[in-house]
Amino acid sequence: MKRLFLTLTIAVAAVTFSQAQNSYVDVAYSIGFGTGDMGDFIKKASFRGITFDYRYAIQPNIALGFNLGWNTFYEEKGSDSYTVDNATLTGKQYRYSNNVPMLATGTYLLSPDEFLCPYFALGIGTMYARRNTDMNLYTLEQEGWPFVLQPEVGLRIQAADAVGVLVNLKYLNGFKAGDFDSTQSYFTLNVGFAFH
Amino acid sequence: MKHFFRASLVLLLAGCYPQGPEYVEDTDVVYTTYDERFTFNTKETYAMPDMIVMDVEIDNGDTTYEYMPDKFAKPIFDKIIENMTALGYDQVDIDESPDLLLTPAAISSTTYFYSYWYDWWYGCYYGCGWGWYYPPYYTVSSYTTGSLIITLTDPNAAADSPINRSQTVWISAANGLVSYAYDITRVTRSIDQSFRQSPYLTTK
Repeated sequence: MKRLFLTLTIAVAAVTFSQAQNSYVDVAYSIGFGTGDMGDFIKKASFRGITFDYRYAIQPNIALGFNLGWNTFYEEKGSDSYTVDNATLTGKQYRYSNNVPMLATGTYLLSPDEFLCPYFALGIGTMYARRNTDMNLYTLEQEGWPFVLQPEVGLRIQAADAVGVLVNLKYLNGFKAGDFDSTQSYFTLNVGFAFH
Repeated sequence: MKHFFRASLVLLLAGCYPQGPEYVEDTDVVYTTYDERFTFNTKETYAMPDMIVMDVEIDNGDTTYEYMPDKFAKPIFDKIIENMTALGYDQVDIDESPDLLLTPAAISSTTYFYSYWYDWWYGCYYGCGWGWYYPPYYTVSSYTTGSLIITLTDPNAAADSPINRSQTVWISAANGLVSYAYDITRVTRSIDQSFRQSPYLTTK
């Protein structure tokens, strides 16, 4: 976990140093909504998330870069019974899902030098996914490094010379891998600062 | 300033992280399992002891049992009888050839664990680089869990066993963190739950 904190610290620090005209740096608060298997596991939206993007413009409206993020989903289930064959276990469950995507991204900016700049992006890479089901004093842990495709649509609002506001929607689709026998996917709504 | 920023970030992120159970009763679980071949609805009577064993000490071949004090054992027995009666069973003496034997037992278990902490952050206390800059220190903690185990056995099945022992046909294990608040309702609630999640025990 400390490594993750360090990574995020570095990410935040990078914002300070991104002064080049052809660089775009985004730091955003991320709200997650689980879908499919992840949505079945945790129905509640996640309000614990952060995402960081670096994009380097190789042409005025095409940028390549990377995306790092962290979304923690959590749900406290009421006391319930779980039956398998001839055994039944009753108790409260505490469910956690931690997801750290690490993606290479390609971005198409529709109007790079305008006040409003809509864009589309696609991320390809992997994510560290860990799911914990806690009951009593025990945890059932599942881990995986799924291959991830992440389409993204967003809007940059260039409020000042180098700083703006960013809103985007990402759909992270992680294919089955590791302990997960189905896809791990979720939407994120991200709102934050855009540096250019 | 660097340390302040780093500490703030760690605290901010750690503060956001969901914490899980807040109260000891949130750790309470009830587990039951049974022999699917056993026909409970052909049974009518059961017998059970009037004391609950909590510990067994064996010293130089002498066996000593430690029993649960009556003020805690009575509500447990009352709750078991209430549930067994609701299922249609009659309690009888052990010498009246009961169809089933019900035996409760209570166990408490303390687990000790230690953890050590070190700091691997990049620092320049003894020259720059990755590594520990303070010797690791150790903390020792413990937690105690309590369990109530109830078993049902068929005493008449011992004759069919090569070792003359009856197999357990139903077992319930309720477990949770011990709070030392002597809250017996957590135990009686778990007994209700044991029977509630075992509808196959009914004689009707």
